[in-house]
Amino acid sequence: MRINVGISEMRVTKQPGVILVTHSLGSCMGLAAYDPVFKVAGLIHCLLPKPSGSKKASANPAMCVSTGVPAMIREMYAMGAQRQNLILKAAGCSRMMNVLNQFNTGLRNQETLLALLEHNGLKLAASEMGGSVPRTMYLLVDAGRVLIRSKREEREL
Amino acid sequence: MIKRKIILSQITRVPVLSSAVQEGMRLLRDPQVDMGNLAKVLQHDPGITANILRLANTPYFGSMSRVNNLRDAVVRLGAKRVSQLLLTVAVTPRISGDLEGYDQAPCTLLEQSLAIAVASELVAAELGIDAPSHTFTAGLLANIGKIVLSQFLDNEYEQVNTLVESENVSFEEAERRVLGADHAEIGAELLASWNLPEEIVRVVRLFRDPESCPERDVALDLVHVGSAAAAMTGIGQGLDGMQYPVSEAVVERLGLTENQVQEVMVKLLEHVAKLKEVLPKCEKTI
Repeated sequence: MRINVGISEMRVTKQPGVILVTHSLGSCMGLAAYDPVFKVAGLIHCLLPKPSGSKKASANPAMCVSTGVPAMIREMYAMGAQRQNLILKAAGCSRMMNVLNQFNTGLRNQETLLALLEHNGLKLAASEMGGSVPRTMYLLVDAGRVLIRSKREEREL
Repeated sequence: MIKRKIILSQITRVPVLSSAVQEGMRLLRDPQVDMGNLAKVLQHDPGITANILRLANTPYFGSMSRVNNLRDAVVRLGAKRVSQLLLTVAVTPRISGDLEGYDQAPCTLLEQSLAIAVASELVAAELGIDAPSHTFTAGLLANIGKIVLSQFLDNEYEQVNTLVESENVSFEEAERRVLGADHAEIGAELLASWNLPEEIVRVVRLFRDPESCPERDVALDLVHVGSAAAAMTGIGQGLDGMQYPVSEAVVERLGLTENQVQEVMVKLLEHVAKLKEVLPKCEKTI
């Protein structure tokens, strides 16, 4: 069964056979987290780096990297995942060509994720961030595989 | 170029707007439109009035109370807004199909088009300026040329992509070099053949390259940055993705800040989700 994770949404599951998928990663950041021992999987699609005073962004933790990623990992712990088992893979954070500061949400999302992980002593096992391409990200719950589809091609992350 | 001629010749294969829609838009140019006439004209196109009302009642267009008929819609939203809704409903079937060339599934071009229309107006709202009345429609139709160009891109994509990747040229310039025409120009030609106003045609023609416009055009500036904000959210993106530059001159003269861009993206998601729900062809999420 496929479960779609929309923009500013996250899903955590232990259900066998599920494929978590998130489409349309532009400047947004997609993070797949997986515990291969307890088979807990999570996928989040964050629009912005931080709430920065936006009421709507504060109301939905999954909208921002700084609030969504910790919320998803906590939910995974609550379902039995353990920190030392976590495999994290990130994608997205694309930029407009010759990007200007005002339009560099992709870079801000990437920086926010990397700073957050470093602060918590966590590392990315793999990532595909940046460029100007759109990406779709899949997390296959049974195997913990992460696939990226972009510009007509599919590859393992 | 031979390819360019063939592409231009395909424009005539896109069905023109129905005479009911054209007549409805003509009547709506008058703010005091004769409601009896308008209703009579639109009844020839079944479902069109119902769909206009569905859109009119979304939070993005919505007035304070529910709009139940065309007269209400014109009184509360104004004739100009209703004319935009009429055109949106009329072009929906033409931009709802899949575009293999751009790797866009059914309904994604519609989502992208709505996103650009709404984002362009949201940018104006964030800046506290009035968006010229043709901003929404020009944004909605900015990418319509893709429906003609898609079949040609399908065969030549590798060449276009190689140019983008190896020479760091924008996607529309790569289209121009390989196919002899880009989606903005083809869209403008298509809309000109539908007799849409020149101010809309001009925005569509230049929205990827606003600096080439000889004079300042606020709607063009808004659609240019609106299309960038929409692309960043990822809504309805094709394989061309974000492979377009943003004009520094335009951002500077609008005085747009990073926070404002982010706020536009947040509001955009909410509105587009509700707008596409009410359009009949796109009830299912992709």
